[in-house]
Amino acid sequence: MVLANGFLLGLASGGACLAYCAPVLVPYLLGEDRTMRGSALLVGSFLGGRLVGYLAFATMAWMTQVALVQDLPHRTIVTGVITVGLALLLIAYGFAGPMRDCRTSCASVAVRRFQMPRPRLTPVLLGLLTGASLCPPFLLAFGSAAQLPQLWQSLLFFIAFFLGTSVYLLPLPFVGLAGRHDAIRTVGRLAAGVVGLFYLYSGIMSVIAGIQ
Amino acid sequence: MVTNHDTRTRSLPKAILLTLPILLLMALMVTGGQPVPTEPIRLIPLIVAYVFTVGLFFLIVYTGRTHRYRSVLFVIYAVAFVMTFIPNLFELRGSMAISETEMIQGHTPFCHMVIPMTAIPAALSRTIIFPGSMLEGFAAIGSMLVLWLGASITLGRGWCSWACFYGGLDEGFSKIGRKPLWKNIDRRWTYLPFAVLLVVALASTATLSPQYCAWLCPFKTVTEYAEVTSATTLVQAVVFVSLFAGLVVVLPILTKRRTQCGLFCPMGAFQSFTNKLNIFDVRIDPDKCVRCGKCEKVCPTFSMDEGSIRRGKTRLTCTKCGRCIDECPKGAISYHVKGTPAGARPRLARLLFVYPAFLFLAIMGSGMIQGAVYRVLLLATTGRLVE
Repeated sequence: MVLANGFLLGLASGGACLAYCAPVLVPYLLGEDRTMRGSALLVGSFLGGRLVGYLAFATMAWMTQVALVQDLPHRTIVTGVITVGLALLLIAYGFAGPMRDCRTSCASVAVRRFQMPRPRLTPVLLGLLTGASLCPPFLLAFGSAAQLPQLWQSLLFFIAFFLGTSVYLLPLPFVGLAGRHDAIRTVGRLAAGVVGLFYLYSGIMSVIAGIQ
Repeated sequence: MVTNHDTRTRSLPKAILLTLPILLLMALMVTGGQPVPTEPIRLIPLIVAYVFTVGLFFLIVYTGRTHRYRSVLFVIYAVAFVMTFIPNLFELRGSMAISETEMIQGHTPFCHMVIPMTAIPAALSRTIIFPGSMLEGFAAIGSMLVLWLGASITLGRGWCSWACFYGGLDEGFSKIGRKPLWKNIDRRWTYLPFAVLLVVALASTATLSPQYCAWLCPFKTVTEYAEVTSATTLVQAVVFVSLFAGLVVVLPILTKRRTQCGLFCPMGAFQSFTNKLNIFDVRIDPDKCVRCGKCEKVCPTFSMDEGSIRRGKTRLTCTKCGRCIDECPKGAISYHVKGTPAGARPRLARLLFVYPAFLFLAIMGSGMIQGAVYRVLLLATTGRLVE
């Protein structure tokens, strides 16, 4: 029952999940030069990170018994901080990436020196931060999982929810194939940076709203 | 010494003859098929707009220079648009700010910048995600879509240099100063408009709201913006003003390029794809080209680079403004009709492009110029800009 509920909730709200994840994942996939298999691996890493985020919150949901969901100021601060983290990662990926081999004066030394420390972890981190950023479907799942009496049930619920929402993300590796063209790769990376700027604003506003 | 431009000049009788169609068509367009008004405050703007547009077309034909005279009309058209639009807003609602209630009632004028972000949701959900009216006047969604479609078929991305009432503003600012103070712009930034397009298309589809209008449009500064009633609308207003100051004023002055059009505008990026459908393009004759790089230096929208020159074409983002054609010292660059041999009958190809393109600009521009001259006369005679 727990599994079915989680999966069905995931399927029902997966469209909204796609709407939240696509602005992060699509630019990232376009920004990478990957084969179909490579793109599928990236989406897999992203989904893996998202699952870890979900499970972390499942544990928290069970431990706090919806307290975090109901505590609006703290919830907005947590959301804000996670969104700022996601934004910084996207900005670093988007704007530092295309500038790595910039030979003109436009890129400052600081920007040119900036390198992504562990690029292989980037999709996992993106997935983790996206998964933990409390989107509306996620809050629904959070509320339901918090009502369950056992921790393992809460975890199982989130795993099923994750599987339900992931169905909508499965076609995304095909998007990654476009990243084999230089121009599209540059566009993808810059787009990730632009998305990052928007999330940075949203995150900061959430933190301010939470503090006020 | 005979320069490239001297060889392009036409004889006076021929230039007059070639101007005749525009002379007649514009007479029809500026009057709108109605009797000529007799009150000076209506008649003077009409005469000014008519003489000005027809005169500029004559100069384009006579001198063989496209960009120089197009640019004059294009910049004045943009300024006239602002001069007409703002007083109209004050007449309608007493402010440049639009309230949330008016937005919900669908009173927001539609502009072409929204088209890329409404296209995907419209295809997916048959819903136009914009709080405007469908068929009410010039700024309605329907009329703007028809205008855009017509211009896209005729001009491709030429829309951005011959029709867009915003492009003239950064073109105007890019003409201030003699030399660029900032030359080395990393070419990768020329892909930013496509990135912004991707983001606003994704975000607009995800949220079913026009995200570019809400967050990124620099031209809200000189047209219409959401009433500042909260921290969010305040931030939006700050973003609009900063983008306008940066992309439309400061950067064009520093670089002498159209930075909003070439480095940011998602509508321009979207419009670039229509260059593939359009029958006109700009070609470089490899036999005449001496690789001086002048076209690359002067192109306002960064649409020429070493690769494109080597291929004898412009980049996809070319707005067909004619600047490179005017500036090329060897006359190696010309308008071209796709499917004909490159460099074949360049004068005819230019005329075939310039007629519809100029007509488009002149029809849209003359209306705005009439409006602006009317406002100036109104100010001079009554001391007020609004009726």
